[in-house]
Amino acid sequence: MAIQIIMDHNGDTRHSFDANDEQALLKAERRFKALTGSGFTAATRTASGEPVVTRTFDPAAEETLFFPRLVGG
Amino acid sequence: MKLLYIASDRLRGFASACSGWVGAWRDWLYDPGPVNERERRGRKLLLEWLSVAQRIQYEQYNYFDVTGCHSGKRYRIRHGMGTNIYELDDRGRALTGWCFVPEGYLVAGDVMLAQKIALETDERGALALANNFSLR
Repeated sequence: MAIQIIMDHNGDTRHSFDANDEQALLKAERRFKALTGSGFTAATRTASGEPVVTRTFDPAAEETLFFPRLVGG
Repeated sequence: MKLLYIASDRLRGFASACSGWVGAWRDWLYDPGPVNERERRGRKLLLEWLSVAQRIQYEQYNYFDVTGCHSGKRYRIRHGMGTNIYELDDRGRALTGWCFVPEGYLVAGDVMLAQKIALETDERGALALANNFSLR
């Protein structure tokens, strides 16, 4: 199962989906585009655990983390 | 006399009921459950994404160090939700402070994780929008 984790006021919201299920994959891609389109940054991790920012939906990504747009504090 | 006894009894019942309402209201007002749950989730997510060295450092000192992807400079991210990033010199002393946060209300773990990812993947972009603060 792949997972999309979205940071929010509850800590995070997690959406698990079967990457072999075409419909689920389509839904995950739509979610990815909606979030990144509204300013969220998407990040995945390399095999060694280092974060990588990704601009396009990767159907093979096991875990994608989304965090809101950054602003000066 | 009997009337006085009944009135006193009713008054005690009423006071007891009020005390129950006040207790329930106080419990509702100060219930830390949901807040703690959010903080716990944020902390769990942060720990999952920290490197082993960062995780050990954070659990021991409540901060962890990251390396900027462009300059190679070290930054210390302290537990917090703002004005919690310190640029370090070669000897580990704090030189200056930087502040940038994700938009909206997020728990501390989420804020620190977003700051870590930003510095490790787009240091220049993060500092371009950050506010700089003096440590003195």
